Amino acid sequence: MIVPMEHLLILATLLFALGLGCVLVRRNLIMILIGVEIMINSVGLVLVGASAFWQQVDGQIMVLILMAITAAEVAIGLALVVYLHQQKKSIDVGIFDEMRG
Amino acid sequence: MDILLTLILLLPLAGGVINACFGNRMPRPAPVFIASGAVIGSFLACLGSFTVAAGEGYRLVLFTWLKSGDFQADIGLLYDPLAAIMALMVTGVASLIHLYAAGYMEDDPDQVRFFALLNLFVFAMLTIVLADNLLLLFLGWEGVGFCSYGLIGFWYRKTENADAGRKAFIVTRTGDLFFTVALLWLFAIFGTVSIEGINAGVADLDLTTATVISLLLLFGACGKSAQVPLMSWLPDAMAGPTPVSALIHAATMVTAGVYLLCRLFPLVSLSPLALAVIALIGIATAFYAATCALAQNEIKRVLAYSTMSQVGYMFLAVGLGSVSAAMFHLLTHAFFKALLFMTAGCLINLAGHENDIRRMGGMRQRSPLVFWLFIAGLLCLAGAPLTSGFFSKDLILATAFAHGDPFHLGLYGLGVATAALTSLYCFRLAYLVFAGDFRGEELPHEPNSLMLWPLYPLAIIGLGAGLLNLPHLFAGGSWLSGWLDRSQDVLHLSLNTEYLLIAAAVAVFVLGWLVAGLRYRKYTEHQPSLVSRFLLSGWRVDNVFDVLLVQPFRNIGRFCSQGVEIGLIEGILNGAARGCTDLGSRLRGFADGKVSAYLQGLVWGFVLIIGWFLLRALI
Repeated sequence: MIVPMEHLLILATLLFALGLGCVLVRRNLIMILIGVEIMINSVGLVLVGASAFWQQVDGQIMVLILMAITAAEVAIGLALVVYLHQQKKSIDVGIFDEMRG
Repeated sequence: MDILLTLILLLPLAGGVINACFGNRMPRPAPVFIASGAVIGSFLACLGSFTVAAGEGYRLVLFTWLKSGDFQADIGLLYDPLAAIMALMVTGVASLIHLYAAGYMEDDPDQVRFFALLNLFVFAMLTIVLADNLLLLFLGWEGVGFCSYGLIGFWYRKTENADAGRKAFIVTRTGDLFFTVALLWLFAIFGTVSIEGINAGVADLDLTTATVISLLLLFGACGKSAQVPLMSWLPDAMAGPTPVSALIHAATMVTAGVYLLCRLFPLVSLSPLALAVIALIGIATAFYAATCALAQNEIKRVLAYSTMSQVGYMFLAVGLGSVSAAMFHLLTHAFFKALLFMTAGCLINLAGHENDIRRMGGMRQRSPLVFWLFIAGLLCLAGAPLTSGFFSKDLILATAFAHGDPFHLGLYGLGVATAALTSLYCFRLAYLVFAGDFRGEELPHEPNSLMLWPLYPLAIIGLGAGLLNLPHLFAGGSWLSGWLDRSQDVLHLSLNTEYLLIAAAVAVFVLGWLVAGLRYRKYTEHQPSLVSRFLLSGWRVDNVFDVLLVQPFRNIGRFCSQGVEIGLIEGILNGAARGCTDLGSRLRGFADGKVSAYLQGLVWGFVLIIGWFLLRALI
């Protein structure tokens, strides 16, 4: 293995943190969805790396499944965003506070 | 024979139940016919089966009511001479009163309820009279209490009537409590509640227990019979319709206490102390009520106090150990007092629904017939020579005299004094009602004939009931004492003593008449003196009870409701509820609906969990 495992883990952690930061900080719904995607992809990166490290194919299979699920998730998520935009003419997450107690 | 005996009880019950369930759907006179027919049928059944009761009596068990271990209570009848004569009196008087009530309640819209309750009352009273065990007797005992409550407050739309009903119920229930204790105690000792069983087993009872049980029974009897100290309900009970006063509060229910003591006489007579207390309570009530009757202004209240006074004489007779004297006075009193009350109802109608004797007067001109009927009753009550009241009261007083010791001579003296007061208030009543001119404004409301004709037989029986137990001096055979198998109650005094006693009785009768004649022949309006106001209020007994019992009870109630209930219990519950609401509204701030805030919460929670596991792994 050319890239050492440590580097891969550091990169994945950085990606995860960036995604998380995006989710927490941004108020645009689409940007939040993108943040989630980044976090999922960082996980996928770790799975592939681990699969290469232990010479096992399971991790790669898992990533394929992950991609399929992500595709579905994005489709549904974007549909929801479109629906919400129709409701309020905005996709600012702060406006959607009907669940306020 | 069994069928006849069953019918005595069953007919009034059936009449009451039919009227209660279907009376309102029947055409108008039908409920009256059913009610009167049931009681008259019961009377005829009593008459038909009367001879069975002679001697040892007749015992009939219909079915077993309760059975649990050793305990057994039957629906059974003990038809002995005592029960037979009492049942005959109850059904006889009740029949006449039902007929009278048919006239009296003719226009009342609630007639059906009235007759249903009246029939149920007769059933409950007969249950007391005929029951062969104390538990069944107690059932009837409570039944008459309930019916009395329902009938006193019959016109319940007026608050004071409903209050009078409640008062009667609560005061008599106080007495019933003691009766219940006595009943349970007797069962604990004898293992049976059968009256025969208890009376047969009393011989091996020790004296203290017998005394205490007798006193408990006495207290129970006091409540029902309106004796000191549980007497204050009876004058108020006059709020009910007049037939009710006549049937329940004069002739039958108030004598249930006397009957109970007579029924359990073998037990009661064991203890000289209990007998002395019974005699004392009797004479105290007789005297107290006679003084109160002197100052009353309402015709029915005078009669109510006179009832109390006469029942006091009956208690005195029981306390003197003479069952036949008590029963004799009970019977004669039932006849003439029912007569008096029903005639009083006619008088009230004649005076234009006026109760107050100060606003009557001159009633003789309005109806000479009612005058003679009322005078017949009053003469019996006052103990005019040769009337029934004379013989029965004289027998009680003579029995007291015959005992001879200072205690009983004292009772005799008080009894004679009370007899003088009785004569005085009777003639006061007569003069105020009949003498002079009419002082009210109302026009007379003629009583209908149905109200009048039951009075004739009562007047005749009332005047002549002395024949039942005519003493030897008057060539009689003391039939009642013989029938009750109580020959020891027949007095054997010397001829001189007898004449002396009779002379005393006649003297106090005449004395009362003369005093009343002097004082009340001419009616003068005057301010009531302090004494007469004291007597009018019944020695202020109601106030005493109010201060001693009612107010403390109210205060305890207020403390329980406002201190314990509102302050403590509701305080705890409200505090807990308020704490939950406060906590909730504070927690509500966290759920602000902001998605980013939720996400932050999620992440921080995740960090905490991860941190916790890392910490665990390191340590």
